[in-house]
Amino acid sequence: MPHPGWDTFAFDGIGTAWEISTPAPLAPVVHARLLQAVADYDLSYSRFRPDSLIAELARAAGSVSLPEHAERLGALFGTLYRLSGGSMTPLVGGSLEQLGYGPDYALVPRGPARPAPRWEDVLRWDGNTVTCTEPAVLDVGAAGKGQLVDLLAEILRTEGIAQYLVDGSGDMLHAGPAPLRVGLEHPYDPEQAIGVVQLGNRALCASASNRRAWGDGLHHVLDATTGRPVDTVVATWAMAADTLEADALATALFLVEPRLLEEEFDFDWLMVFSDGRARCSQGFEGTLFT
Amino acid sequence: MTTPLRKGLLAGVAGLSLAGTVAACAPTTQTPTVQTPATQTPSSVPSASTSTSGASADPGTGGASGYKDGTYSADGHYESPNGTETVGVQLTLAGGTVTAVEITTHPTNPNTRKFQGEFKDGIAAQIVGKKLDELNVSKVSGSSLTSGGFNEAVKSIKDQAK
Repeated sequence: MPHPGWDTFAFDGIGTAWEISTPAPLAPVVHARLLQAVADYDLSYSRFRPDSLIAELARAAGSVSLPEHAERLGALFGTLYRLSGGSMTPLVGGSLEQLGYGPDYALVPRGPARPAPRWEDVLRWDGNTVTCTEPAVLDVGAAGKGQLVDLLAEILRTEGIAQYLVDGSGDMLHAGPAPLRVGLEHPYDPEQAIGVVQLGNRALCASASNRRAWGDGLHHVLDATTGRPVDTVVATWAMAADTLEADALATALFLVEPRLLEEEFDFDWLMVFSDGRARCSQGFEGTLFT
Repeated sequence: MTTPLRKGLLAGVAGLSLAGTVAACAPTTQTPTVQTPATQTPSSVPSASTSTSGASADPGTGGASGYKDGTYSADGHYESPNGTETVGVQLTLAGGTVTAVEITTHPTNPNTRKFQGEFKDGIAAQIVGKKLDELNVSKVSGSSLTSGGFNEAVKSIKDQAK
């Protein structure tokens, strides 16, 4: 419960748990709109279901027409692809499946790590139209959940609800006059926090390499240029004005020097490395326990 | 496209000035001592290659853990995008509890050396954990809550491995 007396609407969506907290209970019609937005997003972007739009691109080369908000997603991925020198890309889906993180959840590698195809070779993302010149497994997981947080918050605002916390399992957006105390989960112990941030009218997202891990150094944050997992950084957090950016930047921190990201994005960051050290920008200053 | 961009990235790093936005994450960073067991050093806790330092070694009881009191050091290895890197870890055990952790880095790769060098001058902190239920927080941000399907698969694998 973010604030005493607030009401929480909890549900499952895109494979994870959601909590939307507001000062007053939401009307059933608002519940329905929120759940519809979640279902629509899943049907557009899930690489885990054969009836999704992007699943068509995995079966055969061609074009799909995604919802309007795909334009922002594509632009953000384009920027991060450039800044990461190709390491961060929606084309990483095939590399993830190669290592066993596919719809069947085999979690057993099919073979050696496989680099993702180069964006400029196989992918065109124009507005909300995505074209692949060869079959390709797209994975927008690096930013998709964050974008869905934003879309749900937008529904709340159009319903006249100005104070809320939309929490997609740790990736969250807050609006309202009273900031929220949010614990930063210890990367090696979910029962501990390594610090506390005050979140007020901003988005906070986390990414960690050691949670969705399935042994032998295999986890879900890959360097697309090699197809291999990234190991030096174990957990990242990013705070930004919207959740789409915060989510994508939390992943980008595994792959791009933060100073380079700061040149194009207004955000705060915190990184924890495999040796237990942390590094952060000013917005996270003083948030860690000592 | 990839190669020139990577060059640009490295050039940017080389020209880094740390005086600006990089800040100390924690109020004080000079002490390497932490109160919680050093879960961040998975492969480095006493092993065959462990050496016990004479100065502080004090063969105490070790409590229920079965570990003897003393100061131990070992090297841990991890695969970075730059190749294998080595991290030196020194643990102090007293009564079966880790009372101090010291991390030393042995960067072998030029990029890593530059990167690890950035940790000097108080811009980095060693993380310290506190029990969540002792903290007055409304929410937690991390990644333990992830895909249900994924977690089920991991559970299934663990069951099979029993």
